[in-house]
Amino acid sequence: MANLTNIDRRWIFLAVFISVLVPLLVGFHLPVKASPNVRAIYTSIDALDAKAGDTVLMSFDFGPSTLTELQPMAKAVLRHCFRKKLKVVGVTLLPEGVGIAETILSDVAAEFGATYGEDYIFLGYKAGNEVLILNMGEELRAAFSTDVRGTPLDDLTVTRPLRSLGDMAYVLDISAGYPGVEEWIQYGQERYRFKLGAGCTAVMAPDFFPFLQSGQLDGLLGGLAGAAEYETLIGQPDAAVSGMRPQSVGHVVIILFILFGNVAYFASRRGGGS
Amino acid sequence: MHHLSHLIAAIATLLLILTTPAFGSDEWFDTEALDNFLTAIAFSILVLVYISLARRRDLTIRRLGGLEALDEALGRATEMGKPVLFIHGLHDMNSVSTIAAVNVLSQLARRAAEFGTHLMVANRYPIVMSVSQEVVKEAFADAGRPDAYNEQDIFFAAADQFSYAATLDGLIVREEPAANIMMGYFYAESLLLAETGATTGAIQIAGTDAYTQLPFFITTCDYTLMGEELYAASAYLSRDPKLLGSLKAQDIGKAAITALLIVGTFLATFGISLPFLGAS
Amino acid sequence: MPFLQRTLPLILAFVAGIVGILTFYIPAASGIETEGATWYRIIFAFSMILGIHSLLSMHWRRIRRRQAGWGYSAVTWFGFLAMFIFGVWNNSHGPGAPIDLQGGGMVWLYDHIQVPAGATMFSLLAFFIASAAYRTFRARTPEAAILLVAAVVVMLGRVPIGVYLSEHVPTLSQWLMATPNMAARRGILIGVTLGAIATSLRIIFGIERAYLGEESEDV
Repeated sequence: MANLTNIDRRWIFLAVFISVLVPLLVGFHLPVKASPNVRAIYTSIDALDAKAGDTVLMSFDFGPSTLTELQPMAKAVLRHCFRKKLKVVGVTLLPEGVGIAETILSDVAAEFGATYGEDYIFLGYKAGNEVLILNMGEELRAAFSTDVRGTPLDDLTVTRPLRSLGDMAYVLDISAGYPGVEEWIQYGQERYRFKLGAGCTAVMAPDFFPFLQSGQLDGLLGGLAGAAEYETLIGQPDAAVSGMRPQSVGHVVIILFILFGNVAYFASRRGGGS
Repeated sequence: MHHLSHLIAAIATLLLILTTPAFGSDEWFDTEALDNFLTAIAFSILVLVYISLARRRDLTIRRLGGLEALDEALGRATEMGKPVLFIHGLHDMNSVSTIAAVNVLSQLARRAAEFGTHLMVANRYPIVMSVSQEVVKEAFADAGRPDAYNEQDIFFAAADQFSYAATLDGLIVREEPAANIMMGYFYAESLLLAETGATTGAIQIAGTDAYTQLPFFITTCDYTLMGEELYAASAYLSRDPKLLGSLKAQDIGKAAITALLIVGTFLATFGISLPFLGAS
Repeated sequence: MPFLQRTLPLILAFVAGIVGILTFYIPAASGIETEGATWYRIIFAFSMILGIHSLLSMHWRRIRRRQAGWGYSAVTWFGFLAMFIFGVWNNSHGPGAPIDLQGGGMVWLYDHIQVPAGATMFSLLAFFIASAAYRTFRARTPEAAILLVAAVVVMLGRVPIGVYLSEHVPTLSQWLMATPNMAARRGILIGVTLGAIATSLRIIFGIERAYLGEESEDV
């Protein structure tokens, strides 16, 4: 029994691998119910008015390592925005976010026939982290005089009427660390009082619950589950909903290992004395 | 005391100017932030007062297991002839947790020099690396071992989060340090680093104010400094009166906030609203 | 040069700190803040040169001395040079344009090497969490048992499968995250924030000099 309390970790790795692989290959349905934090973002964006020129700023503050977890929520929210014909401005605070943001924006725009410059634009990346947020909050053109393609902001339909972050009807930051949600709250929302929603990896989500309760964050998309909930709300299940299958089975396998470990531990204690 | 007197004079002048009806306007002072401003001033005065008082009074600090274990970790590394690896977190020098980590590094480097232990320091930012090099160099000089200082032992590992984790995992597996000391703000790579270190049998001491990473460090490390224990570490190790005084002020600030929370909870529970607090 | 190495940085830290604080409360001073923020961004970008030099020189030394693992250092150099060359010269315009790589070589390298490599590293967490949880989640004490039960409830509540076990699992999971977890988070946040304010004050007034590589100063 003592040996069972100390299984070679490679057996655990194998079990986790199988528990993730099999559900990816075998399809089955799992119901996804939207939580209040996710529904809050959906409701806010749904309430925006394209005719009034409402613009959504999306900050893609994540890199390739967290792409799988955060790309689905970015796409889901973008689909919502384009479906409502809202204008979208993309930006990133990370150099590795540029390629990711461009790909996501162009892929989703193509689904809805959205035109660059008229319906959405991408500002790109500039160094400075939270200081860039401050610059954008004071004067957008002080931070970005042109978009990522070198076109002056005054020449683009989307950005012509925008002066600063305060002119954005909604700001959504999707981040995996630093710079990210906390910086957008401290240096953006607190100073310029725009409506801010956030998306983050599941492990970071508890960090932002205090900001939800204080009203500094409008809503929160936490990890792949949050993305799956948003996909369910917009009625377009995609990668996140599919990802719930391996995630669910993986969680169950880890729980079983924990329970097994405890059973073995108590059995070995009883067998060997205290 | 001269810092305190300067602060009080500056604040008094500023308040006088900004609240004068002829001068004051929303352009010159954001009145919505007045409560924030007054709280900040009050706490600032408290910190400076206690820093001044610290030289005249002995201030005690409770035992922090993780820091007591530093000497044990260094001793073990020296006996085994293996290095100690100090890993900075993922924030730059403008982060308080990085400053706290540098303070811990300074004390650790001094003791490593005294013990004759090989110390390696991994950094994610060039500025943090430069500061760490200066700190370690000065610590080795103070310990009388300037010859033992090797600039290449304090290195820039990688700028990307998971490249940083991959570099350090490789280093841990190849060099098998006897002790891994992780101080600063960490993200998802915390478990990658700590679990890899656990497989090599190293003593692991972590200190972070990253709330979400605490569970991973607690499960994989021998000792964990949680939240502001990291900030207290430098005061604990150096016993510097200024740092101890600052810590005392923080504790009083926390006590004041706790008292306000209790009062506020009582008021809210019984539906009592006070107009000057803007309560609804 | 004690003035450049010590006095000037202390003056800059004091001025920048006070200005940074005051601009938060004085709307009319926002122009100063924007200007300072722009300067900071430029300096920050230049600081990367320090890091690149450190990284490349460290790995070059390993290659030259044929130290253990010098092959990995060679890979580092190769990767850096490849990305640099393609980034500067081949963004679907330069000498590499005849190679039919969509968006240029740098984008190809990014999409086909960096993205999968980063995702692979992140995915290791799933395996490490499983092995760490198995090894350490033991109900040795009543507190550990409570932690264990809470962890199981939250893990089940965060995925759709929890609903199959009980419709209350997601609700209980949400309550655990929103109430006791948030209480602990707030407690730590208050302590950490006060610590941050105290440290910042020490830096502004020149008492804390760790960032200069020095001991703290007598008050």
